[in-house]
Amino acid sequence: MNKFKLTIVSLLILTIAGCANTMVTKEQEFPDMYNEKPRSLLIMPPINMSTAADAKDYYATTVEMPIAFQGYYTFPYELTSEILKQEGIYDSELVYDMPLSKFHEYFGADAVLFTKIVKWDTSYLVIASNLTVSIDAEIKSTKTSKSLWKYNGTVVIDLTGNNGSGGMAGLLAGVIATAINTAAADYTEYAREANGRFIGTVPVGPYHPLYLKDQKIKIQQQPKQ
Amino acid sequence: MQIKILVIVCATLFFTGCATKKPMYDYDEYSETFYAMKRETSAETQTEWQNTLETIIVKSEDRNIRVPPGVYANLGYLHLKANDESKAISYFELEKSIYPEAIHFMDRLINRVKTQP
Repeated sequence: MNKFKLTIVSLLILTIAGCANTMVTKEQEFPDMYNEKPRSLLIMPPINMSTAADAKDYYATTVEMPIAFQGYYTFPYELTSEILKQEGIYDSELVYDMPLSKFHEYFGADAVLFTKIVKWDTSYLVIASNLTVSIDAEIKSTKTSKSLWKYNGTVVIDLTGNNGSGGMAGLLAGVIATAINTAAADYTEYAREANGRFIGTVPVGPYHPLYLKDQKIKIQQQPKQ
Repeated sequence: MQIKILVIVCATLFFTGCATKKPMYDYDEYSETFYAMKRETSAETQTEWQNTLETIIVKSEDRNIRVPPGVYANLGYLHLKANDESKAISYFELEKSIYPEAIHFMDRLINRVKTQP
């Protein structure tokens, strides 16, 4: 009887865990990336939905490197963001739903990367406080203006330090608690971690040794919105 | 015991394998100095960023790896802002030479520099 119960419980756990982490291949999830094979990505100025006004400029400094390491040609952000500003595009939100072909005409970019800072703050609750950095990222084609890839990266750090579950958050908590107490905390470290949560799901680009060889790599499926 | 040794051997092989593999790029202090410049725009932070860009080129050449995308172009832009047009153009040309994806954009910049009075 006991054994039977245990089996049922195990099965139940497996089922639930399975539901929460549906694994799919990169090719199944993002077929258009493999069809279009973009080589270059223009990083758009981040769309800032957070309450931190300076998050936009700060977060922007963390994006180029991981995209380059993923094998893409990334346009020099400091230069391109300056040009976009001169052209009147300071808010990427304004161009998000517009035809993106002009970015191909001007920069020669095969695709653009939109990032949205969903959260970039510390919330102080009665019994706990959390630091959250949450980023929505999306690659859109400059040929069709269609979405080729989309993913979210979120990092939540428990600042109270009594995180029983441990893990990365638990390990980091002590360090961060002190950092937060200083007047202006540097969130870019956590932004990099948030980037790390989504970057691996991007099919790799032409400068990566696995270019067009990573179709079968499994990734966690994003909940459909 | 034998298994233990085997595990250790495998682990050693695995880690040394990783260590000897060449990295794709050497970004030196790129994002740190970029962040510092965004945080406080001054001649000093900009110089530090420029130094980093130059260090990246030297280190990449030393290790015989490709200079990361945009580094030459960013340096060209700094020289352009300092009114050194010929240096700016030569960096834009270097960006083109290692990344064909940049040719269109770099040519546009070079033309703009050349046609400006």
